[in-house]
Amino acid sequence: MMTAAMIAIVVLGGSAGDVFITKGMKQIGEISTMHLGKLARVALKVLTNVNFLIGIFFMACSFFAFLAVLSWADLSFVLPATSLSFVITTIGAKFVLKEEISRVRLAGTALVCLGVALISLP
Amino acid sequence: MKTATVLIVAIISQAIGNVYLTKAMKAVRAAGAGDDLMASALHAVGNPTLWLGTALLIVFFALYSAALSWADLSFVLPATAFGYVLNVAAGHYFLNESVTPARWAGSAIITLGVFLVSRSGARTIPRAELL
Repeated sequence: MMTAAMIAIVVLGGSAGDVFITKGMKQIGEISTMHLGKLARVALKVLTNVNFLIGIFFMACSFFAFLAVLSWADLSFVLPATSLSFVITTIGAKFVLKEEISRVRLAGTALVCLGVALISLP
Repeated sequence: MKTATVLIVAIISQAIGNVYLTKAMKAVRAAGAGDDLMASALHAVGNPTLWLGTALLIVFFALYSAALSWADLSFVLPATAFGYVLNVAAGHYFLNESVTPARWAGSAIITLGVFLVSRSGARTIPRAELL
């Protein structure tokens, strides 16, 4: 039960982190410069963007929950379970970020999820 | 094209970064600090390979975030999963890790999935509707 709750935090935290980081980066706007000075200014904007920082916070929560759950559960169980985050993040992208998930993209994402689970097995 | 270039450089940095991190941490362990956490941490911080690996992972994260400034999350996330395949290959060739048939099968399935995702276009929402 505790393990399931922690894995939920790992997966949901990681997905929420990705969604907030994307929100923040979309607010910054397309980065298309190669000029170092301009890039430094963009970096400053990114590192002070509230959504980006919330995203980093969620990712940190996810990472620490991952470390915590590894202290009692097997990596070979935890790691395949975290491949669920591909599905959860895609749902977040669709409903929060209003991205269009075509059938081809959905099929590809499902295959990636399956492949990552297979790779993570011992 | 820009998205592909940025993401390819990102996942190559990530794979090389992970190889360096693994090498560094194995070296820390081989240095014999054992269970002394403090001594292990000091060994780790003094290891340039560890810093190199960390720097490469920062490069990965910066490029990943940059790609998210114009491309869909539902595109970038599965596309970067190709990094898992590179990591398996790098672990096999550079760190002499044994790779089980299930891992090679997983790598093949991920490659197919990433190919499908890459056919779906990097951005589905017009710029005006961006948040």
